Amino acid sequence: MADPVLSVVNLRKVFTIREGGRRRADLAAIDELTFDVERGGAFGVVGESGSGKTTLARIIVGLETPTVGQVLVCGGDRRQLGRRASERKAWARRAQMVFQDPYSSFDPRQRVADSIEEVLKLHFSLSPSEQSKRVAELLDQVGLDQRHGRALPRGLSGGERQRAAIARALAIKPDLLILDEAVASLDVSIQSQILNLLSDLRQETTVSYLFLSHDLAVIRQVTDNAIVMREGRIVEQGATDGILDRPQHPYTKLLLSCVPAPRWKPRRTRSEREAAAVERNT
Amino acid sequence: MTALLDIENLRVELPVEGKLTTVIRNVSISVAEREAVAVVGESGSGKSMTARSALRLLPRDAAVSGDVRFLGESVFEMDSRSLRAYRAECVGMIFQDPRAHINPVRTIGDFLTESLISTRSMKPREARSRVTKLLDDVGVSRAEHRLRQFPYELSGGLLQRVMIASALAMEPKLILADEPTTALDVTTQSDVMSILDEARQERGMGLLFITHDLELAAAVSDRTVVMYAGTIMEDQQSSRLHDTPMHPYSAALIASRPSPHQRQRLTAVAGRPQSASEAPSGCPFGPRCSFRRDECSEAPAAPRVLPGGRTGCIRAEDLGLVAANQLEPIRHG
Repeated sequence: MADPVLSVVNLRKVFTIREGGRRRADLAAIDELTFDVERGGAFGVVGESGSGKTTLARIIVGLETPTVGQVLVCGGDRRQLGRRASERKAWARRAQMVFQDPYSSFDPRQRVADSIEEVLKLHFSLSPSEQSKRVAELLDQVGLDQRHGRALPRGLSGGERQRAAIARALAIKPDLLILDEAVASLDVSIQSQILNLLSDLRQETTVSYLFLSHDLAVIRQVTDNAIVMREGRIVEQGATDGILDRPQHPYTKLLLSCVPAPRWKPRRTRSEREAAAVERNT
Repeated sequence: MTALLDIENLRVELPVEGKLTTVIRNVSISVAEREAVAVVGESGSGKSMTARSALRLLPRDAAVSGDVRFLGESVFEMDSRSLRAYRAECVGMIFQDPRAHINPVRTIGDFLTESLISTRSMKPREARSRVTKLLDDVGVSRAEHRLRQFPYELSGGLLQRVMIASALAMEPKLILADEPTTALDVTTQSDVMSILDEARQERGMGLLFITHDLELAAAVSDRTVVMYAGTIMEDQQSSRLHDTPMHPYSAALIASRPSPHQRQRLTAVAGRPQSASEAPSGCPFGPRCSFRRDECSEAPAAPRVLPGGRTGCIRAEDLGLVAANQLEPIRHG
């Protein structure tokens, strides 16, 4: 793939956990992970709890370091950065993250417009009038207005706050937007607004998405390509439509068969889960 | 069919900043033996408050009218002794977050056997072997070992199974489950729902199932009640809800959920869900509804009983929302 926006090469992350007393054990949260995200693409990472998808997101933005392997954002490796602030800032402009919980990702005492402005101040040298114009533009882009900008985070609803988080992430025109379960905590009617917003933003900007979610319907809605992760490893990868229409791995089949729908019946999954665990990872 | 639980014309007001604010408006729901009724709604719809009312677990300063009856006896008029017995033996409650509802400093064994020992006067050893069997039933492996563990040593999925085991331990006639699978993975969700389903089939237990997930509700319940802003929007057979919603709000909810099988632009509902206190008089969904007419502001709070179910929409007939529903005989009211 020519010039991928994100390149993950043979990534491995090991956490050492205590098993009571002095005994320690190594847990590989991510193992042998390799994939590329093309520029302008929308890439899905499907996984249940413990699949390693959040660890992956944290490594990409630099909140964790890999044990083995490489993560290249726009061809650059974060570990080869110099110490200069300007270099680090330039690197930070490449990838931004939107977290699951819009309640805890804002400073409760800072007005929404101010928290967006702070990012602009840090990264660009704009005049005050240019700055407030850009804030208004960003708010408008995510369907908010001046009134929301003047509000404190607690004065916004969950959906409005998630829009504000997306506006703040877009402020520095990142190449890659990482959305970690970004719609999971939203009400159904708000979720659809945000999903539509995300597909509109893709038309209007050049941003690429890395969308992490356990929700297969949401993955289908926003992504073109995807990987399915289980216990830190890829079990299936390819075009999203292909994976969901013709799943190959028993684990993907199991996930799909557990999505509730009218006329679906719940069932015990222990034997299927064991079968999926035995199947060789592809 | 005898009604196990009968919530009738329930109205709940809570003091917010010194002023009484309505959170539930004229809600009537009944659950029969062996029946699973789902209550679906977004945040602020009053679905959890409805479940809490069924156990009389409301704040002391709440103003309540209407009635909740269990097997004909009014829960609101019970004295403290019978209320205790009702909560302990007749109804099992499962909450969304098991970690917040299981004592963190006692073992799983203590938590599970407590009610059997104190209420049923069982011998500790007998109680332990009983709950070991129960844990096994709900799919917890190495049950003996789990009894000695503390809640923090168990994953969310396992702990939710422990809570279900505790709710089933007293063999209640009715289970109230408030978002029991929201924090769980889909595979675990399938397990948990099938455990509840089995208990219902085998023991004739009733289930009042609170959820935000319309698809899950449709799949696991006999009847679905859709709530919005403390008001019942519609109530009908779950198997028909997705094909023939009886209220524009339910139709909008169904259309706004993406599907794992195809991709198409979602029909989003403008605005955000409102709570009962913010909602206008008449139909609370009015301001967000694309079929709104002036007369909607005079719609009654309680839904109308129609063949096939109940709907709060006064335009249901002229919008063609009830035509297809007239095949089924009346089940409620």
